[in-house]
Amino acid sequence: MRGKAIYAIALGALMGLGGVARGEQGVTGTTIEIGAFGPITGPAAYIGLGGRDGANLAIKEINAAGGVGGRKLVLHFEDDGHSPTKALAAVKKLVDEDHVFAIFCVAGSNGTIGSIDYVKESGRVMYVSFASAPGVTWPFARNLFRGGTTEVPRYGELYAEFIADQMQAQKVAIMSGREEYPKNEGDALTKQLQSWFNTTPVVRVEFNIGDKDFTSQLLQVQQAQPQAIAFFGNPAEAAIAMRQARELGLNQPFFVGVTMVDQNFIAAARQTAEGASGFALVPLLPGSDDATLKAWEAKWKQEYPNLPAGRPNIFDLLSYGDMYVLAEGLKRAGPEPTTDKLIGALEGIKDYRVSVIATPRTFTPKHHIGNLQLVAMQVKNGQWVPMAWEGKHPSDILKRYQ
Amino acid sequence: MTWQIAFQLAVSGLSVGSIYALVALALVIPFKASGVLNFAQGEMVTLGAYIGLVLSTSLPLPFVAVAALTVIIAGAFGVLIERLFIRPIVAAPEFTLVIATFAIGLIIKAAIRLHWQDNTFPFDAPYAGPALAVGPLRVNPSYLIIIACLAALVGVLVAFFRGTKFGKAMRAVAIDPRAARLMGIRVESIFMSAWALAAGIGAIAGLLVAPLIGINPEIGQLIVKALVAAVIGGFTSLGGAVAGGLLLGVLETFCGAFFGATLKNIVPFGILILLLLLKPQGLFGGSLQQRV
Amino acid sequence: MLAAAAALCVAPLALGSYQLYLAQLMMINVIAAAGLNLLTGNCGQISLCHSSFMAIGAYASALVVIHTGLSFLPALAIGTFAAALLGACLGYPARRLSGLYLALVTLGFLQLVQILIEEFPELTGGVRGLSVPKPQVLGYAIRSDFTLYYFLLGAAAVAVFLADNLQRSRFGRAFNAVRQSAFAAQALGIPLGRTKLVAFAVAAGFAGLSGGLMAVTVGFMDPTEFGISTSLRQITFIVVGGLGSVTGSVLGAVLLTGLPEFLRGTQEYADLVYAAILLGSLLFMPRGIKGLLDDLWSLRLVRKPATP
Repeated sequence: MRGKAIYAIALGALMGLGGVARGEQGVTGTTIEIGAFGPITGPAAYIGLGGRDGANLAIKEINAAGGVGGRKLVLHFEDDGHSPTKALAAVKKLVDEDHVFAIFCVAGSNGTIGSIDYVKESGRVMYVSFASAPGVTWPFARNLFRGGTTEVPRYGELYAEFIADQMQAQKVAIMSGREEYPKNEGDALTKQLQSWFNTTPVVRVEFNIGDKDFTSQLLQVQQAQPQAIAFFGNPAEAAIAMRQARELGLNQPFFVGVTMVDQNFIAAARQTAEGASGFALVPLLPGSDDATLKAWEAKWKQEYPNLPAGRPNIFDLLSYGDMYVLAEGLKRAGPEPTTDKLIGALEGIKDYRVSVIATPRTFTPKHHIGNLQLVAMQVKNGQWVPMAWEGKHPSDILKRYQ
Repeated sequence: MTWQIAFQLAVSGLSVGSIYALVALALVIPFKASGVLNFAQGEMVTLGAYIGLVLSTSLPLPFVAVAALTVIIAGAFGVLIERLFIRPIVAAPEFTLVIATFAIGLIIKAAIRLHWQDNTFPFDAPYAGPALAVGPLRVNPSYLIIIACLAALVGVLVAFFRGTKFGKAMRAVAIDPRAARLMGIRVESIFMSAWALAAGIGAIAGLLVAPLIGINPEIGQLIVKALVAAVIGGFTSLGGAVAGGLLLGVLETFCGAFFGATLKNIVPFGILILLLLLKPQGLFGGSLQQRV
Repeated sequence: MLAAAAALCVAPLALGSYQLYLAQLMMINVIAAAGLNLLTGNCGQISLCHSSFMAIGAYASALVVIHTGLSFLPALAIGTFAAALLGACLGYPARRLSGLYLALVTLGFLQLVQILIEEFPELTGGVRGLSVPKPQVLGYAIRSDFTLYYFLLGAAAVAVFLADNLQRSRFGRAFNAVRQSAFAAQALGIPLGRTKLVAFAVAAGFAGLSGGLMAVTVGFMDPTEFGISTSLRQITFIVVGGLGSVTGSVLGAVLLTGLPEFLRGTQEYADLVYAAILLGSLLFMPRGIKGLLDDLWSLRLVRKPATP
């Protein structure tokens, strides 16, 4: 008798689990539950914290203006500690326990890839703001969208064209760190220099993240006599390497990777940063002299008054802009949003951005690459200033989605 | 490879080696004084650097005053940590102590990260300046200051450990606390002082390397290279730790030039393993034999 | 004890995907902790590279499945064996070392393994990580969380059973003798070098097994998952659980795997809170949870279970 009761209870629990309907979970009469995850502990914390706080600011504004279709957006944020194991736990919690409708991903590449299989299985829409891992957009998956960052080959395309065209350098030396982003940027640049301009870097040297001395690499660079030096790594290493380069008598201009187009880099490298160029994911960096940006920063500081130096950072800005894109998709999905309707709505978005502080997003039913635009910048008087340069070479990225 | 390049590599190798040597000292000295491997020693360096940062940006004091204050405050932190967290478990199994120091290190790093995030702050020292030119070679003067401080530190501390009663008491406690207690040594005060010393020397290391590598929560990772340097020198010799650091820097730099970044990475650990398996007392350490 | 076992078997039916995943991770960590406990808790040898043996097991078994088409179980066996073999390779030359020097050699080994993983990206995926296919056992693909959980539960039960038996066996007694006094052990005729070697190999095998299982549970891995912090976390499992006790390592692994998840509410303060709780538990339970339970038992407040 007791056995039967246990069996019944177990069966009932199983049915209860299966009873959560797919597609409408996370949408109630008054709210839409959005899940988000990213690193807020550990060395990558500045990424997830910016992602979370920027998204929350956007949501607060959207809710104050009436929400989406009369419903308020509610954000559930989980830490992924920059680890795939923890990222998977975060996503399972969001989908399974918090019953979110869609996921806004502000994690790094490895955390994102760690969660991707489960997200695909669950059918939830995931909008990826920062991670550049190829697996998000290729092979094509209906429920995955990439927002702020661009495809890795696109970095290569723009970098190659800029170095060849703007910096007028045929002989480039590449210094890259042995970590995901820097390695990707270095590889992409090398590949694109070959395929578009038929040139190869005069030397490619690597360094380890955490290195404190770059003399052996810099001497090799010096021997190769480049016209420009491309540096892909982190601000801390860039500061040391660039200072040592100048000490050794290397006077070539520096081109830096996207993680260094940031106030942190200038704060760390100071005078040696002057004249460096690179590409940013946003039209204006925090701290720039622009009225719209300053107004946004003022709102941000009002919302988060006690945060440390360096905030708001680029991730706050990117995440804010991308949350508006997701919200726009939710709006266009109509009064009774479902996952299918959201996907359809997002795929109809063309050149949308909340204001001049974001780059425009475009999705189509064939590809979900939201952003192919990077903004060329240069350090002038201790600030990253946008340059009036645009890539003219047509991109090859979208060809494989035809 | 020209002579010029070889000499520059040697100079730069000694320069980065001086950083390793400094942190290695910060590791070996507390070990010599307490016999316990402190997993938080890297964070002692980080803590010292941040204390220096706070002081130098909020008070209009000359550098020497900032440095002195930093060492004192760091030392006070060390004493506080010892009394609150180490004293209660000093009789616990050894692994408990080791994990406790690990937890303390985690707390320090997490707290620093929460407040200052992962920004890299520059740190100015009055002796910092453009590279000095010695013929075709270039050397940053800050490294020379580090080497000078290394010599001074080793000199002072060797005299302390060998010559003063307190220093000898510390060494006794490190070798065998029970026997030391039986000899009438106040083991508790020795432990407290050992932690103060650990924090203080860590702070000096942090202050001296900060102008060269910037200040962020991860600079404590230098401790890993420092461990290798300390092993090369034999964990008990101060001069050996310095020599080990310098040697490591030179070896790394030359390997990087000849073989690229991978080997540059592998070399320290390859050396570490080889030495430990073949000559664990390092190049300068005494015999490891225990007499029964 | 029986009630706990029953709970472990039945509870999953009421758990959702997230909680099942946590339970799966707990089983994996139990296996790793049990192995480390034999080496460090019983034999007294410190090892900072336990996570490296996990890595070896994980990458070896995943790569065997990907490149040779062998199914999961043989691949897992290969991964476990490879880890044990490398454990012996490390244990042999390290047999003359102890304390700080042994710790440093294991640290060197850890860094070497990290570097090797990163150095062959065509094979291991390098820093970009490696996706692991879903496990196929006897022709049947394990797709559901439940099946995987029961599989892991079985593996953990076997591992704990093995560890317990090993502890009571001649090897276990040799381990303890070596830990308490190397000289006395030698005087008793216990071969020091061989004992340490066996301890290293066995612990590495456990770690390899848990690594191979973790690879298919998470489905994706990168070298940072097997670094020094993972090794130190595993040491905390056995220290907080109670060094030398199999029950202790199980308890420590389960509780400290669950704790970070439990602390999700503290958001960015989680690392700080975790470290504080860890420190606190060491201050109040210097001999671990098992030590505390023993103390309470001696005060007749807690009924002592059958296992040590």
